[in-house]
Amino acid sequence: MSLFLREALREFWRGSLSKLGVIFLSIVIIVSFYTTTTMPLDYGTRFWSNPVFWVNNPKAAPPEWVNTFVSPKLLEHKVLSTSLPASVDAVEGSILKRYSVSYKLGVEQFPQFFNLEVSNLTYHEAPPTLILSILKPDGYSIDLYTFIVERPFENESIPFIRYTLEPKRVLLSGEVQVARALSNFISARYGELLSPSQIIDIGYEQIIFGERSALKSFTPLKGTYTLTLTLASRNPNDNIGSCRFILGGQVYGLMGTDLLGRDLFSGLLFGFPVALLIGFATSVITTALGAGLGIMSGYIGGRIDDLIQRFSDIVNNFPQLPLLIFLTFIFGGKLWVIVLVLVAFGWPGLTIIVRSMVLSVKGAPFVESALAVGASRLRIMGRHIFPQVAPFILSQLIFYTPSAILSEAALSFLGLGDPTIPTWGQILEYGFRNGAVYLGYWWWILPPGLLIIYSAITFVFIAMGLEPVVNPRLRRWR
Amino acid sequence: MGLGKTLAVRGLTLIAVLFCVLLLTVAVIGATGVSDRILNAMLNERLRGIRQVLSTQITDPDELNRAIEAIEDDLIHSYGLDQPWYVRMPSMLARIIILDLGNARTIQTFTGSRLVSDIILERLPNTILIMITVLIINFLVGLIIGVKSATRPGSLLDRFISIYSSISYAIPTWWLGLLMILVFSFYFRLFPFGGMFSAPPPTELIPRLLDLIWHAAMPIITLVIALSGSWIYITRSVVITTAQEDFVTVARAKGLSERLVMWRYIIRVAAPPILTNLMLGLAAYLGGAILTETVFSWPGMGLLYYHAIVSIDEALILALTYIFTLIYVISRFLLEVFYVILDPRVRYG
Repeated sequence: MSLFLREALREFWRGSLSKLGVIFLSIVIIVSFYTTTTMPLDYGTRFWSNPVFWVNNPKAAPPEWVNTFVSPKLLEHKVLSTSLPASVDAVEGSILKRYSVSYKLGVEQFPQFFNLEVSNLTYHEAPPTLILSILKPDGYSIDLYTFIVERPFENESIPFIRYTLEPKRVLLSGEVQVARALSNFISARYGELLSPSQIIDIGYEQIIFGERSALKSFTPLKGTYTLTLTLASRNPNDNIGSCRFILGGQVYGLMGTDLLGRDLFSGLLFGFPVALLIGFATSVITTALGAGLGIMSGYIGGRIDDLIQRFSDIVNNFPQLPLLIFLTFIFGGKLWVIVLVLVAFGWPGLTIIVRSMVLSVKGAPFVESALAVGASRLRIMGRHIFPQVAPFILSQLIFYTPSAILSEAALSFLGLGDPTIPTWGQILEYGFRNGAVYLGYWWWILPPGLLIIYSAITFVFIAMGLEPVVNPRLRRWR
Repeated sequence: MGLGKTLAVRGLTLIAVLFCVLLLTVAVIGATGVSDRILNAMLNERLRGIRQVLSTQITDPDELNRAIEAIEDDLIHSYGLDQPWYVRMPSMLARIIILDLGNARTIQTFTGSRLVSDIILERLPNTILIMITVLIINFLVGLIIGVKSATRPGSLLDRFISIYSSISYAIPTWWLGLLMILVFSFYFRLFPFGGMFSAPPPTELIPRLLDLIWHAAMPIITLVIALSGSWIYITRSVVITTAQEDFVTVARAKGLSERLVMWRYIIRVAAPPILTNLMLGLAAYLGGAILTETVFSWPGMGLLYYHAIVSIDEALILALTYIFTLIYVISRFLLEVFYVILDPRVRYG
């Protein structure tokens, strides 16, 4: 390592901001690395923009940890799954396999919804029947929902397997059958006659997970419930691969959900590598282009210099955001379009400064001596002039990174982001468009913005730490 | 270079900027077929009007159709739709300059006009109002605090300024706006959620003015917080650099008062580079205004941008890009004039 570099590094490391910046950057890199290795690259199209994938999540739910601060406690989201039958009985020639889980309702709240998912069901003879029932803590049991598995297709061979790619989803709140079952339950339990439409008015969850306090009002019944899915079939080999009982809560996960029930934590996580990619791709291409043109313009001079200077002077004076909006609007918000457009308007500032720096070293003795021993123009630019301006270019590269991240976020916020890749800006845009600020959904607004700031400030800190290295005049003032 | 010549050179560059932006937009919309769509929409609008008028005069449907077809051919020719896009570039350019871009898709003015030019002219003053207020407040804040922190480098204020400026650089203006709404409108109910006047707006002058200020306060504060940081920091750096010049040391050695040295020897000399930075930051003001207006539903041109994007209104976006460039170029030129007044080297050079 050369003496100069060591000196520069020491000077850089002396600043507290640069230390902070380096720590922040390593966190960003570690999280990005973790995300890219654990999440699929087509996460955006396959999961994020696919509403079906999120159907079992509560909508616009705050994160779970708010329960530390609020009282009364909010109900947590629960997904209970099982793949082994709890009991197997043979009754009058049919086999009953019971898959059950127990659910403990510990707070004075009703679950928001109750969904059932069945996947990989196998049968060998007649289509089996599935019965969903619940045993309440007070000892009463309700058969909520019954359905028969689809019959075999023509020419289908045994065994018949169902629900392999997509599980069978039953959203109980949308099923009229449940209303009839609950109506029967109420007449048996309380001796009242309520029509199915009255049941719908009260709400299924209220009756299933509640205790009657007045004619039509129910209070949550705390305790342990047993949820059972019974498979009634002819063949003992018929079975269910797995079944999941989903009890919608009011709080969800680490970061809550948005209006579609999407887990914001995963979206925010995916934003890390995307932000890093946009920032680095844009700033590297921009600085390479800007510095290259600047060195050429400064060293070669003449007509090329004139041309580059006129052009960069004009492009440098373009109002950026209106043109960014215009171009991404016309060409469509794809990630590479956004990067290219950012590059197209980012380079001239650097070209102008680098040119003036090159002019000042152009006449230096070491350049003249290189010229005297017959070095080519390319070699002089690459080996003698470039190292002189390299520290400055490096600091500009880092300084330009946050502005690329911020520009992409701004475009996303205006609805021009790449719809196939979730970014922090897009999460905010979706929140803003659906009134998250007016409804006080802070968990949807604060984290993405804070992450944008975090990733931008990381590079600002490093750039500020580099400033005294590049511009020794500022060194004395610390 | 004399004063007039300097201004002329700067003016020409800015006109070149405007021209290049226009050329770029026209070429882009031409090559992508957007200009065909805009012109076709205008053509159909005109034809519909003509059909209505003619149908009262010509009763025979065949004859009516023939007449309209003849007119349509004429119109296609006059709009240049029978020529490739690069041939009609000059006419398209002229159309943009006078904002003759037909009707907006869904957006209307207060009085119900759907003409792009009417819509833009209605929104223009609202944007200018915000921008000028913010520019003035920021200029003063930056100068006062920047100079103050430069006089005591390393002080508590100075360190605070470095952190504040880096945060303010990294904070997206629009997100800050969302945060302000969440805190001051949603939780504390101190300010309105957005808009320019309450509904219904007060009719008397004083209450109306107060209502306007009440609504404008949050967008303006947001923009000041977001944009003042880097501006204070630049002022500070320029002042510090100037303070190290030899003539300042000489002035101090002469025993001049610190106040005199500061204002006459440092700030007077630092003023032109500070102004240069203000000019370079102008684009950030424009961008900030577009986004902040969107967040606060301020009925200016920035919000119009957002609505145009949502309703996929190409003509409106084209017009807005042109107008924003125009505003930018004009305000840049005004700052150039100011620069020439401030910098004696240019004036007497």
